[in-house]
Amino acid sequence: MRSRELTYEDLLKIAEVIRTASHFSEFRLKVGDIEVSVRRSNGAAPALAQAEPLAAPPEGAPEDRVLSKAEIPGSAPAVRAPMVGTFYRAPSPGAPPFVEAGSKVKPDTVVGIIEVMKLMNQIEAGVRGTVKEVLVGNAEAVEHGQPLMLIDPR
Amino acid sequence: MKRFGFVDVTLRDAHQCLWGTRMTTAMMTPILADIDRCGYDTINILGGAVFDVCVRYLHEDPYARVKLLCEHLRTPTDALTRGQSLYTFELFPDDVVELNAKVLAKLGVKVFTVYDALNDNRNLESSIKAGREAGMKINGWMTYTLSPVHTDAYYVARAKELVKLKADLLCVKDPTGLLTPERGRTLFPALVKAAGKTPVQLHSHCQSGLAPEVYQIAMQSGFTHGYTASEPLANGASLPATEEIADRARRLGYKLSLDRKALKAVADYFRWLCIRENKPAGVVAKYDPALYEHQIPGGMISNLRYQLQTMKIEHRLPEILEEVPRVRKDLGYPIVVSPFAQYVVTQSVLNVVQGERYKTIPDEIRKYAVGYYGKVAAPLAPEFLERLNAKDKDFVTERPEDHIKPWLPRLRRELPGASDQELLLAAFYDRRLLEPLKKPQPEYAWRTTPLAELAGWLAQRRDIEYAHIRFAGTEMTFSS
Repeated sequence: MRSRELTYEDLLKIAEVIRTASHFSEFRLKVGDIEVSVRRSNGAAPALAQAEPLAAPPEGAPEDRVLSKAEIPGSAPAVRAPMVGTFYRAPSPGAPPFVEAGSKVKPDTVVGIIEVMKLMNQIEAGVRGTVKEVLVGNAEAVEHGQPLMLIDPR
Repeated sequence: MKRFGFVDVTLRDAHQCLWGTRMTTAMMTPILADIDRCGYDTINILGGAVFDVCVRYLHEDPYARVKLLCEHLRTPTDALTRGQSLYTFELFPDDVVELNAKVLAKLGVKVFTVYDALNDNRNLESSIKAGREAGMKINGWMTYTLSPVHTDAYYVARAKELVKLKADLLCVKDPTGLLTPERGRTLFPALVKAAGKTPVQLHSHCQSGLAPEVYQIAMQSGFTHGYTASEPLANGASLPATEEIADRARRLGYKLSLDRKALKAVADYFRWLCIRENKPAGVVAKYDPALYEHQIPGGMISNLRYQLQTMKIEHRLPEILEEVPRVRKDLGYPIVVSPFAQYVVTQSVLNVVQGERYKTIPDEIRKYAVGYYGKVAAPLAPEFLERLNAKDKDFVTERPEDHIKPWLPRLRRELPGASDQELLLAAFYDRRLLEPLKKPQPEYAWRTTPLAELAGWLAQRRDIEYAHIRFAGTEMTFSS
């Protein structure tokens, strides 16, 4: 038989054979004028490239200090998450938090941000008073309706 | 005999649509010489997503890629920016926009393509001016969408604006493949007429499966160029195949400059690359009438499904897709393209989950609504305006960039001795994201053969310890 160059069509055939026969430790196959023999290493998983996830990780690392989700005492109103998302206590990484325990707030005071599907939603206190306790740490995932902080109304 | 020209998108939009923009420079270099021989009039090498993915995920310096590709391609290269937003979704001051145009021209870019997601051409003014001064040809895009306000007359007005801004080329960009042959028959001749001597081109995606037909109408209406991709990376969410559009053009009697042998070499390589890299090839899409309602690109629906899954509300996807057209109408018909696609979808999710419309309005949507990013296409719905609760003084009517102060003086102070490219990267990204870009460039391969690919592939697979290949009188043994 006359010698010829390997073509991409040949290559695709060879790759197809090797990929589809992945469960055999040893095999030999003839397709047209191409013969392929392969022996696999023992037990090694096929090295398949993994697709990377498309979503970008949230900016900024979570803080070490994670507050417990305390029981809500009946008296103090809670600011609740309007949506499932990621809670941020500061306007940008490294910036001081919007509020701390003891901060005075008005109904329209921004107390945090919830990122929902890459868009930022400002969370307002909703009542006048003093922040009693912040219940959620920075960059933590929150559920719909989860209390974020307690406000002592005045 | 009339001529029809081609612009290649294989190195940009094709892998953006099909591979999540993950084509590396090392995957491009071995086939570059063949792409250069195909006979394309222009090769598009850069866009917003390519720039961003280079930095965030591939850890490549996007300007270094542009330089390398320009050095090795004799075919003129094309770089696309989102006008005043450049490669991101935020607006940049004029000085950053100008410097970017200057840098691209210096790296060898010949055609500078700009678009604005609101079709507010005021957002293109400084890009066009800077690009022309830097010596590049200016290609102005108009983004196509379906709505009661996006009429033929609307696009004719946009085309006239671009001609007035002295764009060298015009282009209709249809990001979700919404154009139909029927619409093309009225819209295309009107645009050709409005453009006068300025050539008009078509850039349409294949989600509806109608794009090849639409390209044919474009040729017959007097469009001069079509954007296409090498066949394995064409169709589906990508653009039509060069090979298919070329066949249609030939049958209609157009003169082409394409080299079929070179096109085949390129297609063979990319077909193999899909296998080697375990990435999908483009598949011809089925016609889907629902696409014309929600207009959400296919890639975005799969992304949305994933996001809903993580929020454990995947079962509400049908309701959300139904809410999308309503939100789009209330928001004055933004084009379902980045970043507004995300705005419309996220607001729809919020409306459905909260069981009440516009109870929560994300900050970005508030900015959009008051005109911060540019002119909104149609009036906002009263129900939305009421919840938006913006005061008269909040609304922006001047050119959006007029209220952004120059950045370069500050960046120059912070980074003494930095090159123009370094200044720009620092304007776009957090310093921590730029660290990995400083690694030295790898040794790129400038040619490859099927045999070399086979050897490399087998050597890379840790599951194979021995392989013997025999073909046409040649034998090869690979053993670890």
